[in-house]
Amino acid sequence: MSLPNEDNIASQLSSHFFGDLLDSIIVDVASECHRIARLGLDRNMEDEEEELRLSAQARVRVADPSNSGEANSKYVVDIFGQSHPSVASEVFECMNCGRSIVAGRFAPHLEKCMGKGRKARPKVTRSSTAAQNRYSRGSPVSTYSPYSNSTSSNRLSNGTSGVAGEEYSNGTFQEP
Amino acid sequence: MSSRNPSYTNPKPCKHLEDYKLRHGLSGYKSIQKHLKATPHGRTSVEMLNTGVPRCNSCNGFQGRLYLCLICNSVSCLDHTLLHIQSEDGHDLAVDIERAELYCCVCCDQVYDPDFDKVVMSKHNMGVPRGDKHGDESIGERLVKRRRLGLGVAEELVDLKKSKQLVSMRDRRDKSCYPLGLRGLNNLGSTCFMNSVLQALLHAPPFRNYFLSEGHNHEACRRRSGDRLCLSCDIDVVFSAMFSGDRAPYSPAHFLYSWWQHSANLASYEQQDAHEFFISVLDGIHEKEDKSRNRNRDSGDCQCIAHRVFSGLLRSDVTCMTCGSTSTTYDPCVDISVDLDTSNFSPTDIVNKRSKPNENSSISTLLGCLDLFTRQEKLGSEQKLFCETCQEMRDSVKQMSIRRLPLVLCLHIKRFEHSPVRKMSRKIDRYLQFPFSLDMTPYLSSSIVRNRFGNRIFSVEGDESDIITDFEIFAVVTHSGTLESGHYVTYLRLRNRWYKCDDAWITEVDEEIVRASQCYMMFYVQKMLYQKADEDLSSLPLSPRRDAYLPIAG
Repeated sequence: MSLPNEDNIASQLSSHFFGDLLDSIIVDVASECHRIARLGLDRNMEDEEEELRLSAQARVRVADPSNSGEANSKYVVDIFGQSHPSVASEVFECMNCGRSIVAGRFAPHLEKCMGKGRKARPKVTRSSTAAQNRYSRGSPVSTYSPYSNSTSSNRLSNGTSGVAGEEYSNGTFQEP
Repeated sequence: MSSRNPSYTNPKPCKHLEDYKLRHGLSGYKSIQKHLKATPHGRTSVEMLNTGVPRCNSCNGFQGRLYLCLICNSVSCLDHTLLHIQSEDGHDLAVDIERAELYCCVCCDQVYDPDFDKVVMSKHNMGVPRGDKHGDESIGERLVKRRRLGLGVAEELVDLKKSKQLVSMRDRRDKSCYPLGLRGLNNLGSTCFMNSVLQALLHAPPFRNYFLSEGHNHEACRRRSGDRLCLSCDIDVVFSAMFSGDRAPYSPAHFLYSWWQHSANLASYEQQDAHEFFISVLDGIHEKEDKSRNRNRDSGDCQCIAHRVFSGLLRSDVTCMTCGSTSTTYDPCVDISVDLDTSNFSPTDIVNKRSKPNENSSISTLLGCLDLFTRQEKLGSEQKLFCETCQEMRDSVKQMSIRRLPLVLCLHIKRFEHSPVRKMSRKIDRYLQFPFSLDMTPYLSSSIVRNRFGNRIFSVEGDESDIITDFEIFAVVTHSGTLESGHYVTYLRLRNRWYKCDDAWITEVDEEIVRASQCYMMFYVQKMLYQKADEDLSSLPLSPRRDAYLPIAG
């Protein structure tokens, strides 16, 4: 069992050293900030804070249910006074097969028409082999190698226009 | 030394520093030089090797900060610097031993001198840039060339007056008080990923100007290459349609067809990623250019419109933690993908609904993500790299920075996290604050490198004083939903009003809606191009109402 005196000295010393270390760190930080301020490296701070304030304010206002939230209401007319059905109704000719297709169903039609995708029978055409060659070489417009670690799972899918997200739903758009 | 650098200001010296410099020049600094010790972490300190632990001349104390007089090399603690200047006339300047910072004993303040910083920097291993495929030409020379080219391109792309067709193509359906080119895009079946990016491209000022001023000529294109597939030609068609004045929603069917022919692996009727689409389109534009143009023109710098508008240059520095030597490589990029900074998120924030909205510690910001992107990253011990100087495998630190900014900066937020344990990915819906005006100065290579050495004043490659770093946002692509299923919407900023582009639906929204939205891709353009774009596309004067928010009855 050590004498109370020794305990005292030990804790005093450790407090003392801790105090010294803390002082040193504080002076370090002060010295760094001093340099940053003197060299004008923080001159954008006010602008940045203003942007933060505006965003915070915006979030509060948008979250407020008393504001007629644009996000929550369905569209009636757009700014041009037009109204649009949930499935685009324009009709045009498919450039692959010549048939008349409704715009909102064009993509699924084209997929089968071109023989792409999982459901269609694969057709060997000039375009599909050319495309294969294109993707076997490295793409020059690629993401920078030291950093990129993108995998095929790292993507956000889009969908139909009527998704049950928190924001809104403007009508349904069912996948066939 | 170079002219005033916009990213920092040369601080004005105090009278005492001035006098000291007049009388002693650089001799004091030079005498200190041999005692300066640099660490691989970018710090510098003073080591008087002969004397062991430095002690104050007056009180023999060794604790706290000690200052080394530049003239007589005597050491004083903070309490006794006054004593020293009283006993020795003119011995006003000293150096903080711990941090190698100049200290004026009369002003009792830290002072700065570029010449001193230069001496300090001479002790640090700056490393040699490698990985240049351009041979002997110095990086400085090459980058000056690039910059000159960049400016020329910008001017050309800014001048919309060349456009002939722009003004004439209007019909009576044109709602003249709205900006040209504002038009809905029909969803062709899960194609909002495409529509959202197209809207952003259609309104990227230099990209738009190029196509609207006949930058891509169909006939010349066909003559040059018999190959019918040209994504630029198809984009040109989209531009013509969108800027025709017709306000009924446009169906980009032919474009979809062309794009599917180019990107066979993405050609399927299913929900896709907007960012992937963006990269794929730029790739398609570039590839066609690659085939038809003579590549020898300007060693390495692609002149296709995709690169001219979106291409920047990233710098990657890998520093050996033992000797401090750095190896630098440069890589081009057409966008910057950043991770969401989720580290600040604390569970108590959800519970405590009364938390102030200004509490920075719990909000993710775009600047925070950029800080994360450019921070020094310790490479794990399994990622040791071979250090040329040490001739051994060493622990290293990697740091990214931006060497050259593009005209249009696309920032992509990686809103997903992968759990290796559960082997699944999920989307991060966390709100990200982003500014409308963005100053990219702190993320430039010159700023980052300077910061690595304690913000010393010295010139870094890339210190051209007219680098443009001010950007303005003009498009925000937002996503709602999950990784597997969701919806994209783009907000466009035209003539300082915000428009929501939700496939065929174009509505005007208040900027607050945009600020509060969940951003996925943000498009910023150099400020002066943004301002010029505003002028160019002003048709008739806007109606006077300033509160732009129009509630839409539901």
